[in-house]
Amino acid sequence: MGELFSSTLPTIIHAMTTPTAAGPLAPFRVIDLTNELGQLAGRMLGDLGAEVIKVEQPGGDVSRFIGPFRGDVVDPEYSLHWWTFNANKLGATLDLTTSRGQDLFTRLLNTADFLIETCPPDAAAALGLGVEAVHSSHPGLVHTSITPFGREGPYANWKATDLVGTAMGGLSSLCGAPGRPPIRPTASQGFTQASAQAVVGTLIAHYQRTKSGRGQHVDQSMQEAVTFTHDNASPTWDIRGINNGRPGNGREIGGYKSGQYVYEAADGYVAALSYGGLFGLTARQTIEWLDHHGMAEDLTSEEWLAKLDATQGILIPPTGEDGDHLNDVLVRFCKQFTRAQLVAEAQQIRNGWGIVHTPKDLLENEHLAAREYWTEVEHEEGHVTYPGPWAKLSKTPISIRHRAPRIGEHTFYVYGDLLGFSVDEIRSLASANVI
Amino acid sequence: MTDSALSDKVFDGIRVADFAWVGVGPLVSKYLADHGAEVIRIESSVRPEPLRRAPPFVNDEPGLDNSGYYADFNSSKQCVSLNLQHPDGVSIAKRIVEHCDIVTESFTPKAMRAWGMTYEDLCEIRPDLIMISMPMYGLTGPWSMWQGYGHVLQAAAGISHLTAYPGEEPIGTGVAYTDFLVPHFAASALLAALDHRQRTGEGQNIDFGQMEAAIHATETMVLDYTVNGREQQPLGAGHPDYRPYGTYQCAARGDDDDRWIAITVTNEAELASLADVAGQPSWTSLEADALDSEIASWTRTQQAEELMEQLQSAGVPAGVVQTPEDLRSDPQLDHRGHFWMLDHPTMGHRAYDGPSFRLSETPADLTKAAPLLGEDNEYVYKEIVGMSDEEYVEHLVSGAFD
Repeated sequence: MGELFSSTLPTIIHAMTTPTAAGPLAPFRVIDLTNELGQLAGRMLGDLGAEVIKVEQPGGDVSRFIGPFRGDVVDPEYSLHWWTFNANKLGATLDLTTSRGQDLFTRLLNTADFLIETCPPDAAAALGLGVEAVHSSHPGLVHTSITPFGREGPYANWKATDLVGTAMGGLSSLCGAPGRPPIRPTASQGFTQASAQAVVGTLIAHYQRTKSGRGQHVDQSMQEAVTFTHDNASPTWDIRGINNGRPGNGREIGGYKSGQYVYEAADGYVAALSYGGLFGLTARQTIEWLDHHGMAEDLTSEEWLAKLDATQGILIPPTGEDGDHLNDVLVRFCKQFTRAQLVAEAQQIRNGWGIVHTPKDLLENEHLAAREYWTEVEHEEGHVTYPGPWAKLSKTPISIRHRAPRIGEHTFYVYGDLLGFSVDEIRSLASANVI
Repeated sequence: MTDSALSDKVFDGIRVADFAWVGVGPLVSKYLADHGAEVIRIESSVRPEPLRRAPPFVNDEPGLDNSGYYADFNSSKQCVSLNLQHPDGVSIAKRIVEHCDIVTESFTPKAMRAWGMTYEDLCEIRPDLIMISMPMYGLTGPWSMWQGYGHVLQAAAGISHLTAYPGEEPIGTGVAYTDFLVPHFAASALLAALDHRQRTGEGQNIDFGQMEAAIHATETMVLDYTVNGREQQPLGAGHPDYRPYGTYQCAARGDDDDRWIAITVTNEAELASLADVAGQPSWTSLEADALDSEIASWTRTQQAEELMEQLQSAGVPAGVVQTPEDLRSDPQLDHRGHFWMLDHPTMGHRAYDGPSFRLSETPADLTKAAPLLGEDNEYVYKEIVGMSDEEYVEHLVSGAFD
C-alpha cells in the first residue's frame, strides 16, 4: 500500500481481502449500494457466501453515523448499526455523482452478478441506475431496487422512514392498544421486511438466470413488504368486512378478540396464547396443570370443560365474562411462579408458552448456547459477540466470516485486483476524489 | 437451452412436498408456488392443518375448505389428503417424496423422526433432495421439542421486548409477527441451496430454527448489549434519534374516529417544511415535547389522507396508519397489482396477497386459489406416484387418504 494513503486508509488490511469461500452463493459477487432501507439484504447475501462489495461515498457511508456507537463515541468506525448490517461485506468508496465515478461503477458491475441499491426513483437515472440503462449494459445482472414504495407508481417519489413504512403497509394499525397511538417495534421492521423479501425476489431472479442466462430487475417496495405482516387481517377484511385492530396485550384473529397473552410471572413476563391453553386443543391438560398447583379454581367443572375443550370444534376463543374469568385465573396463577418454571411445565403438556426475553436473557439462553448460535467476530478492538447464522445448511454452511469494512478498506482489492488498475492509477483516482 | 429455459415460470419442473403447516412453512412454499413450482401440500382430515380451522370463514361458517386465513397462504398450490398415522401413510408419503426436489416441514423434530422421514431417511429415496425443517427452536438443543406460535416467538426472540409503550409491559406486535418475518429467511436459504444443487447436483438439509432467524430482526439490540452492556428499551412509535417521530390522531372519517397519521422528521429541512405546512413557523424552535403536543392538536382537525398528501408534497416523510380496508384501495398497491382476485370452489371470489416484489421478466403468477383438502388426490396419486385405479381405491377405502 502506498504511504500516500496511510492517513486515509486503514493500516491493517485484513485477511478478508481474499475471502474464504463459504456458503451456497460463494461463486457470486454482489455490488451493494444500499442505505439503511436495504443493508440487511446485502448482509444476508453475504451470509449466504456471496462476495458483497459495499460501495460507499468518499468519506464513508451516511449509515456509519447511525447509532448506537461503541462506547457512545460517535465515529464512523464505531457505529453498531454499521457493524450489524455490513458484516460479511467488503468496502470501497466511489463518487457516483461524477462521470469518472459512474464509469468505474459500470466496470465494477461488469464483474458482478448482483446489484442491490436503494436509490430514490427520481434520482436513479442521473446516477446511471435506471432499469433499462443497467439492463442494456449488463443483461446478465440481477438488479434489485429497494425503495419505500416501489420504483414506479403514484407514491414512488414519496419519502418514508421506517414508521411511515409500518404505517402505510398496515402493520402499525395492528400494533398498540385500542384508543392509544399505533406503535412500531423500536427495531425497524419496515427496513427488515423490505430487505429480507428483496433477497427472496433476488434469488428467484437468480434461479431464472441459471436457466436463461438473462438477468432482470427486481422492484422491491417497503410498503408492500410490510403488507406481508398483516397476519389474517387482509382476508378478515375481505371476508368479514371487519378491520382487525390494535389488540394491545391481546390477540385478534379473524376479527375475534381474545384475552391477554403476555402475563406477569414472578421474575418477568411470559407469553401464552388462548388463555395459556385453558382454551383450545390442550384445555384438559392445562386445567389439570393449574389444578395440580391448586389454582384451577372452578375450571375443573364439566361445564367449563365443555366450553374450553376445542379438540373437536373450531378455534374461536371465548370472550366477554367467560374470557375475563379465564384471564383472571391465569393472571393469579402466573404471578406465583418464575418464567422458567411456567414455560417448562407448560411445554411438558405440549402447550406452546414462551419466555419474553430481554437482550440479556437471550445472551444467557441455554438453548441458543447449546446450538452454538452466538458468533465471535474479530475486531481490532477485540472480539464482539454477534447473532449467528440464521439457518444451518448441512453442505454449504452459512457463517459470519468477518466484521464490517472500515472506510476504503478494500480499495486495492476492488480497483486493483478486480478492475486491474495500478497503484499509481488508484492514487490518481483518490487524488481526484473519485474514490 | 432446455424447454424449461424458455418457460416464463421460474420454477417450472421443480416439485415440492409441503408437509409444513400454519404460517412459516406455507408462506415459504407460497413463494415457490406463485413462481411456478408444483407445490403439493400433504394434509389430513384426521389432524387438520390448524389454519383450516381458524377464522375468518366465509359467511362465518366454519369448515376445512372455508378459511380465509388458510387460503391466503396457499395460493397456486395443490393438496392431497394423507393420514400419516395410517399403516400405509408413511410409505405413500415417501412415494410422493421420490418425485420431489424439495421437502418442507415445520413440526417439532420428533414428528418426522417418528415417521422415519428425516433428511437422512428421505435421502435414501431421493439422494439430491433439499429438505428444510423449520421448527420454532431448530432440530437440536434442549428446547428443540418445544411448541410455539409466531405470537409467542416474537417474545422469545426479543422483538416484543422492543415493542411497547415506554415503560409498560412488552405487548409485542398485534400479529404472530415471526410467522411473517422468518419465511423470507427460510426461503432465501432454500433458494440458495437450490442454486447450489443446480450447479453441483448436490442436495442438502437445512435446519432452520425460527428463533435464530428472528433475532436478526432486532437491529442493533444484540450488539448494543454485547458491546455496550445496554439493554435497549421500547419507544412506542418513536425513534431513538429523531423527533418528531410518531403517530398522531386525525379528524374522524364518517363514524370512524380512529384515524391516525405517522409524521416523522429526520433533519432541519423536514422540520421547516412541517412547520410551513402547518403555518406555524415557530415550531422550528420548539422543544420536542411541546412540539409533539402542538402537532397532535393540529392533526386532530386534519383529514389523514389530505394531510399525508400535503406533507409528502412538502418533502416530509408522512403516511396514514392504514387499516386492512385502506390497503385494498391504496393507489400505490393498486398500481403494483398487490391483490389478486381468485375464484375458490367454496369460498368464491376472494382477494389474495401476492409477493411484494416485481420481477421484470418473470413476475409472480398466482395461478389458482387455495386447494380444497384432498383436491388433487387423483392427479398426485395416480399421475405422479403412479398408483393404479385399483390401488388408489384400496387406499381410499382403507382410510389412508383421510
